[in-house]
Amino acid sequence: MSVYLSIVVPLYNEEDSIEILLSNILKAGVNFDFEYEIILIDDGSTDNTWELIERLKEATPELKAIKLRQNCGQTAAMVAGFDHASGEIIVTMDGDLQNDPSDIPLLLEKIKEGYDIVSGWRKNRKDNFLRVFLSKIANNIISITTGVKLHDYGCSLKAYRAECIKTLNAYGEMHRFFPALASMTGARITEIPVMHHPRTYGKSKYGLNRIFKVFSDIFAMNLIIRFSSSALKGFALLALPFLLFFILFGILSSVAIIYDWTQGKANLFMIAAFLNLMALIHLIILGILGELIVSMSDLTHTQLPEITKKTIFSINDKEHNKDHTSATYITIID
Amino acid sequence: MKYSVIFLLEEAHEDFPHYVERIYELFFSRSDPFEILIIANGTGSFLKNIKTMFSNFNCVVKAFELSKKTSQAVCLKSILNECNGEIIVVLGSYQQITQDSFIQLLNSMDNETDIINPRRQNRLDPIFNQFQSLVFNALVRKITRTNIHDLSCTVRIFRRKVLGETELYGDMYRFLPILAVRKGFKSKEVKCENYQAKGKTGFYSIKEYTGRVIDIFSLYFSTRFSRKPLRFFSSIGLIFFLIGMVMICYIFAERYLKGYLIGNRPSLILAIFLMVIGIQSASVGLLGEIFAFTHGRQKKEYSIQKII
Repeated sequence: MSVYLSIVVPLYNEEDSIEILLSNILKAGVNFDFEYEIILIDDGSTDNTWELIERLKEATPELKAIKLRQNCGQTAAMVAGFDHASGEIIVTMDGDLQNDPSDIPLLLEKIKEGYDIVSGWRKNRKDNFLRVFLSKIANNIISITTGVKLHDYGCSLKAYRAECIKTLNAYGEMHRFFPALASMTGARITEIPVMHHPRTYGKSKYGLNRIFKVFSDIFAMNLIIRFSSSALKGFALLALPFLLFFILFGILSSVAIIYDWTQGKANLFMIAAFLNLMALIHLIILGILGELIVSMSDLTHTQLPEITKKTIFSINDKEHNKDHTSATYITIID
Repeated sequence: MKYSVIFLLEEAHEDFPHYVERIYELFFSRSDPFEILIIANGTGSFLKNIKTMFSNFNCVVKAFELSKKTSQAVCLKSILNECNGEIIVVLGSYQQITQDSFIQLLNSMDNETDIINPRRQNRLDPIFNQFQSLVFNALVRKITRTNIHDLSCTVRIFRRKVLGETELYGDMYRFLPILAVRKGFKSKEVKCENYQAKGKTGFYSIKEYTGRVIDIFSLYFSTRFSRKPLRFFSSIGLIFFLIGMVMICYIFAERYLKGYLIGNRPSLILAIFLMVIGIQSASVGLLGEIFAFTHGRQKKEYSIQKII
């Protein structure tokens, strides 16, 4: 059975929502004219989520379920889902009923148009004001620093071409940054407005201390993106302020020595200059180490262009004109 | 399939289709089978518009497009699997060398050589550009101890395995001849005539200059220390530490033997700073050692030429 669409849903303590979730997906799935599968991942839930899944599995042939031994995080759960997904297109969703499965056909349409990643945009968010406001700030910052301008990075409802997401080898808390990561190697990304339902069951698993984590993730993600092509250049960017301060304090301390402001003793400018020099040398050394690691590694992020390149035309190519269905990643415009 | 001719399209020049036609005719008149691949590095819909010009070609023509402008190294690696030729010929978006020189380059690829480096004579770009190029190439030659005189020619001819086995990433495509020589591939430098010069002239941006300098720097490390990288770090670390140690001893000696007060001396700060940097470098060396052990094991140190 060749499946076209895989719906991946990571779950953590969602025993109240899961039956409704599954029935919503199945209801929307009645209108699909292709084969699809649903992959539910139990990320170490401490309630009855898994028992419910086991019960539901008997009635639903499209359902595939993965139970993780302990809570591994949303990214890890998603990756587990990706590794077991056999569809050509993967759609990720939230397990708490905030996303609506009936938006899935809209996402798929965009993929058919040639995009590699389609992100959902929760235009009318039903959360409280503070959360929405902070989200807006975070989205702005991520959009500006990574260059991928999406209005809603936090929306879990996204569609990906399977190759694009599988080769990213995500870890940590990267799931928010899948679009940014994929874009650096040429994936075409777009967003469409989707519906948002307020959270009806359970509590939100996120608190305000997430802000700090998200921002430090943004910083790390930027570094990784810059690093993957040239580590030293990525560090050069970081090192620039230190270099400027070193020059500034170096000049000031030379002036202080020439005019003998501190009678031959060490002055503060000198200390500041040395500290900045130290930081500079540290960064250079780390940059060299980074170059070494990059040149030794598999560089999977540079494999993506092989997948996201688009064939514009191909003439006289007998091998290529095999029987491709319309859902493959190469669209031959001949 | 003997030749895979790859056109790396960086900018949309109007002459490009005619250039492709001339190259096609050149190869067609030779007896070896060839194929043409075009990869557009973020040039928008230029390729779609010229599709019809190639429909009467009698060889395989494939055209690809990357939506975002990435480095040339990434471009080439991304279409490596689409090439079936044994020898890869990489060309730019405009004709940089004359037809005769190009034929000469093709013919000089014999069974012994793996990569051909063109060296442009009688360059047509402005003197300032030539001067910059001269300085750049001389610096690279000095640092990597190779003999390659022209790194910015857009025409390159090499065997397929050169692309597969060298570690190309970032902006390293420009230095492909050097990386190939380091891996042990045989190279030959052939003189050729410049035909057109349509590249960027005058001053480049600061980012490009610093980028080039950093590239030379990382080239230095990858050529000199890729086999034994950690000794480099640990050795500088040790040197810094020892200098700092010597300075500290001297300062303390002065303090206790001659009574000079040392609390405010700049050299005290310098000595401590050197010792700290020394320890840091040495520990980075250790870290690198660990990395090389865990991740670098798959990368083989040798490069096989033939197995009988």
